[in-house]
This record gives sequence, structure tokens and C-alpha cells, in this order.
Amino acid sequence: MTKLLEIKDLRASIGGKEILKGVNLVIGEGEVHAIMGPNGAGKSTLSAVLTGHPAYEVTSGEVYLRGENLLEMAPEVRARAGVFLSFQYPVEIPGVSMTNFMRTALNEKRAYEGKEPLSAKKFLQLMREKKALLELPDKLNNRSVNEGFSGGEKKKNEIFQMAMLEPCLAILDETDSGLDIDALRIVAEGVNRLKRPDNAAIVITHYQRLLDYIVPDYVHVLADGRIVKTGGKELALELEEKGYENL
Amino acid sequence: MRICKGDSFERVYLNEPVNLQLEQEAGSRVKIVVVDFETSNCRALEIANRITIEQQGEGCVTEIYALAWLQGTDRVTTETKVTHAVGGGRSEQLVKYVLDGQSKGRFVGELKIAPDAQEVEAHQTNRNILLSEEAEMRTQPQLEIYADDVKATHGASTGQLDESALFYMQQRGIDPGCARQLLIGAFMKEILEEACAVGGETAALQDVRDLLNAIDGVVE
Repeated sequence: MTKLLEIKDLRASIGGKEILKGVNLVIGEGEVHAIMGPNGAGKSTLSAVLTGHPAYEVTSGEVYLRGENLLEMAPEVRARAGVFLSFQYPVEIPGVSMTNFMRTALNEKRAYEGKEPLSAKKFLQLMREKKALLELPDKLNNRSVNEGFSGGEKKKNEIFQMAMLEPCLAILDETDSGLDIDALRIVAEGVNRLKRPDNAAIVITHYQRLLDYIVPDYVHVLADGRIVKTGGKELALELEEKGYENL
Repeated sequence: MRICKGDSFERVYLNEPVNLQLEQEAGSRVKIVVVDFETSNCRALEIANRITIEQQGEGCVTEIYALAWLQGTDRVTTETKVTHAVGGGRSEQLVKYVLDGQSKGRFVGELKIAPDAQEVEAHQTNRNILLSEEAEMRTQPQLEIYADDVKATHGASTGQLDESALFYMQQRGIDPGCARQLLIGAFMKEILEEACAVGGETAALQDVRDLLNAIDGVVE
């Protein structure tokens, strides 16, 4: 296995309160890891810390992305290096068009990789191609980022952005919440089609339902800031049946 | 100045002090767009804009849009006074400030609807973004509504750039400075668009158009 992400004894707090109390996790290329756990266990904190959200303070531990010290990188550098978060609550940005937003983001990433910016024509072609993958409407280009999008459209838009940016590590934070079954299928298919032997995904979810579509290689239970149990995909079914309390 | 029955008065002012007093006759339309920001060839701004408009005839439309983008020691004051002396009219006031450095802004907006001016629709909105600790904005909306069958709204808010939007953009690899520019541009855009909609081929409008194009990223 080639290590993509390595988390060692990660501790983090917000407003002086410790949320992550020593998380250890190794993710290899080509793997899908599900993280489940009760509310308040630290699932969203983990995604916020990995992406460098300024509200959280890392008090100890190390995180390496392909051997590089992730915690020393600014949030935008982590993103360019290939860490992508599908937000639980995608943010509306009135007045900033999807095209402008996406083009800026993509060209920043390309510059980081030493590539030339995409021409307007090639960029729009790519937008069209990836939108079709998520069954998103063409009119999306001129709309402001997430503004007036339905819950389902927002989540599809997250995966669309993921398709555009082709991250090596995708973190899906409760991407299934608020989705009806059709939207869930489209989103999951989108994620599955983006799977490559050299990338990986962390799927944070409350429910087994999403894992019927995005099948994990490993399921971890996060409780009170630590990973307390790890298993295969069958662990998710067991949790669904018995709940977290028996752990 | 009187705007005669059914006539239309539309103008864009860029970086010039506006001192306007207009009386509108029935069915006339007024649209004024005021934009103040440091263009490449101008020094610190010290501008006071005063716009007084009275709707004296029925069915008038009054639109006032003002945008000030200030930095350094810029000072811009905008005073508007819109009076609906008779009914059946509509007025819209939208005033936005972006303040950086030690700049100071001030908005005094008076909206008056006379006792007999029924079925008026009047809106006044003032939104301000402070980009630095030292920048200062004073805002005084004043509404005097004496008629009862009217639709009037007003709102004033002063805040900072949306932190969650900034982080969202950073998470997509966008440089924080660039993310701020995108948000500031988005905030200013609607008024710049109103200015461009007025049209004409003045140098002032070209500066506004250049700024709007820069915001839209259409410059190849």
C-alpha cells in the first residue's frame, strides 16, 4: 500500500475545548474510508482540521499528505495539493459566478502544478463535461455560487467541483444529508466515477444508506475524539442495527 | 431643476461631487448612479454628494444608486432626500460603501411620504463593508411616513467580509487576497451594472466598465 494520508495522534480544540483527543489513521491510495459516529464525536472537526479551518487549533500530532507536512500548509495550499472538502453546508456566495469561481480555483491549482491556465474554450468544455456527470443544468455557469440552489443542487455542486479539481484526497462531510434517493444516487455515482487507483476518499456519514452506494474499504467509528473501532464495510451494517451505545 | 411630465433623466457621476435638486412632474423617471472610487489617475477622494428629489406628480419613478469604494484617507458623504409629495410613485435607494485603510464614509438618507401620498412604494437600503479596523462608517437612515397605504422598506447594515465564504474559496485553492477581491467585487457589482445600464460613452463610464470587467474576469 502507498500511503496517501497519515494522521498521528492528532489533537485539536476549539475555543479551548478539546474535540479531537488523539486520532490515528492511515489512508492508502485507492482506498475509501468511512467515518461514522454519534453527534459531537468530532467527525466534522476532523474535516475542518485537515482542511485548515482557522477556528480550530491543533494542539499536538502530525498529519502527512504523501509524506509532506499538511499542518504547515495554508488552507489554499492544502487544497492545491489535492485535499478537497465537500462541505456539509456549502456556502452561498452572492455575486460570484460559478464560472469565475471555478476558473480561478482551477487555474490556481494548475499554477501550483506548474501548468499553464486553461483557455476559456477548454475550460468551458471541461465545465460542460463534468456538469453532465452530475446531471446539473447548463445554466449553472452564470449563477452565483450556491445562491438559491436547492439542498440537492448544493451537494451535487460540491461533487461537480470535486470533478473539476480532481483531488487526491476527497473528504465528504455528510454529503448524504438532505438528499432524496435520486440525488443520493447521482452524487454517489459521481463520486464512484472519480475514483482512481492513486486517490482516496474519506466519507463522513451518520447513516449506512450512503455506504450502499459508495462502498468503503474500511469503516471507522469516531467517538469522543478518538477512533474506537475499525472494521470492514460490514461494521456499518452492524452499527445501523445496534447503534453506537454497545461499543 | 424640473423634470417635465413623462420625461426621463438618467445620469452617472464618477468621482465628481453631485449636487442635485430635482422636482419630478407626473410620470417622469429619474435614475442617478453615483460611483466614487480611486481610479488610476486620481488622488485621495474628498467628496460630498447631495441629492434631493421631490415627486410632485403622480406615477413618478426615482432610482438612486450610490457606491463608494474607499481606501487610505478617502472621505465620501452621501446625503439623499426623497420626498413623495403625492401618491402612486415609486422610489428605490441603494447605497453601498466598501471602506479600507483609515477612510471615512457617511450616509444620511431621508425618505418622506406625505400624508396624502397613498399607494407609494419606497425602498431604501444601505449596506457597508469595513475592511480595516480603522475605517469608519456613519449611517443615518431617516424615515418619515405619514400616509398609511404605502409599501415602504428600509435597511442598513455594516459588517465585514463573510468569513465562511472566504474559507470556502480558500478550500478550493483560491488565494485569500484573491478571494477577498472576488467578494468585494461581488458586493459592488450590482451598482456598477446599474451604471453601465444607463449607457452613454463618457470617460467616467469607461472606468466603471473596466472595473466591472475586471470583476467578471472577462479580461483575457
